[in-house]
Amino acid sequence: MPELVIDRVTKQFKNKIAVDAVSLRLHNGVYGFLGANGAGKTTLLRMLCGVLKPTSGEIRCNGTEISTLDGEYRFLLGYLPQDFGYYPDFTAKRYLEYLAACKAVPKDLAKEKVQEMLRLVGLEGEQKQKIRTFSGGMIRRLGIAQAILNEPEILILDEPTSGLDPKERIRFRNIISALSKGRIVILSTHIVSDVEFIADQVLLMKEGSIVGQGTSREVTDSVRGKVWEYLAEPEEADRMNGTFAVSNLRNEGDRVYLRIVSATCPCEGAAPADPGLEDVYLYYFGTEK
Amino acid sequence: MDDKMKQEKWKLLSDEPKDGRILQEKKPPFPDEEKKSERSREVWRFPLDESKKENSLAAIRKAAEAKQLRHYPSFCVNLWNQFRFQSWRYRAAQGTVLLSAMLLSVWLNQNKIAGSDSIAVCSVFLVFAGNICFSGVARLFSWHMAELEQTLYLNLKQMVCIRMLEAGILDLAVLSILTGLTVGSSNAGTGEYLLYLLVPFLWSDVLYLHMLTVFRNGLAGYRQFSAGILCGLLALFPVILEDAYETQALPWWYAFGLAGALLMGTEIYGILGKIEGGDSLCLN
Repeated sequence: MPELVIDRVTKQFKNKIAVDAVSLRLHNGVYGFLGANGAGKTTLLRMLCGVLKPTSGEIRCNGTEISTLDGEYRFLLGYLPQDFGYYPDFTAKRYLEYLAACKAVPKDLAKEKVQEMLRLVGLEGEQKQKIRTFSGGMIRRLGIAQAILNEPEILILDEPTSGLDPKERIRFRNIISALSKGRIVILSTHIVSDVEFIADQVLLMKEGSIVGQGTSREVTDSVRGKVWEYLAEPEEADRMNGTFAVSNLRNEGDRVYLRIVSATCPCEGAAPADPGLEDVYLYYFGTEK
Repeated sequence: MDDKMKQEKWKLLSDEPKDGRILQEKKPPFPDEEKKSERSREVWRFPLDESKKENSLAAIRKAAEAKQLRHYPSFCVNLWNQFRFQSWRYRAAQGTVLLSAMLLSVWLNQNKIAGSDSIAVCSVFLVFAGNICFSGVARLFSWHMAELEQTLYLNLKQMVCIRMLEAGILDLAVLSILTGLTVGSSNAGTGEYLLYLLVPFLWSDVLYLHMLTVFRNGLAGYRQFSAGILCGLLALFPVILEDAYETQALPWWYAFGLAGALLMGTEIYGILGKIEGGDSLCLN
């Protein structure tokens, strides 16, 4: 079973530091990277895949630098990029067969594997269709199928559920949960519920650094006492919405229910509430006005 | 097995404990007795429990199935895989190039087109053939595939090398057809003739390879296509110059050939370096 060590990894593009001295130790389990756009999640994931080279620092798999492991490391890897690539003139089956060949899946096993994956992601009926005819959700499902085609020990998924409808998202979560045994699964998303349900460890990333890490409960507990509920008059609600980070707002009769994320009590009469992961997201990544 | 042997075996078995233990042998006091004991020692066999054996074998089978056995494809298998999954359009284009090379050579011979005209036509054809063959390399960089391909066991860098090799073989075949069938109609020797064809080809390939990683947005395809046309036109450039295919111009051809080869090497090295670094793959 692999162990990934990210040792003070930094990536700099010209004047911008995308990832800033990140250090992590990853064992078996699902790791969910949560962060706003531009937080450096994709850059870090690309470095973990070996697509990008770190400006400084090292990524080691079982004690050896991944660039030294080269093909041996890629043997262990399954990757779904954010901008998932495909040849539109290929059918789904041919595309997976092509990637199976490039992933060194033995030819006699590849056909069986391809069918298994198509069944798993619900594309068995569309396997002879050209990918150019697929919807966004179908393409994403195909992407998930290709990522797990070689039964990777390290599975890296960048925004895996973007473009999927709720039913597909639930199906995806179940696939990942079933796959997570004996593997390192790393996923980045800004869909909080994905991470909440399947991640063993939540990693909060902001401006290239890890600002929080722990189980879903631990991370949620870190903002306990910073989430407030308040029933306000409509005018007051408008004013508060402009002043504080509001994670929920709904009309209740002639008043407005507000869920506010704030380090201090936002107003007299506001009551502390149990925090959720969305509140955590807002606390770390929502700009408090 | 005769009856006597059966009886002896039965006797030996009946002397052994029934719980499967092997008795510690008592050391005979004298060497003669030791020899006798050696002779009488029988390899004790457990009676096989078939159900236990089946269970154990099933467990081993299960463990073996669960174990991920690695399969390392050979270079030839990788080469074949890259060829196997090419689009039919690309294969049709390759076939057309070869067929056209033959038809062009026959046409030039039949119409007795010789000298600089023949060289110019052949060099332009070789440039276009080269660009068509290189489109297999360009495909690897299209449709956002480069990033994903870089993470596969056979990664982008290796794929590019295989496709370049394949394009090179095809170009060589075209060059052989053109040279073999038309060199006789020219006053130039085979070496000179090859040089006249290869120099524009080298320079156009340098330009084409450069375009692969420079323009990688929505208009990339059009720009590369334009580059291909431009390369073809540049190959006609020597025709404008008087005495370009004369012996006194040969040093210039050698110089341009050498420079083209060096640039080509640098360009290939640069592309492989860009793939390794990854920045240009991801940012475009």
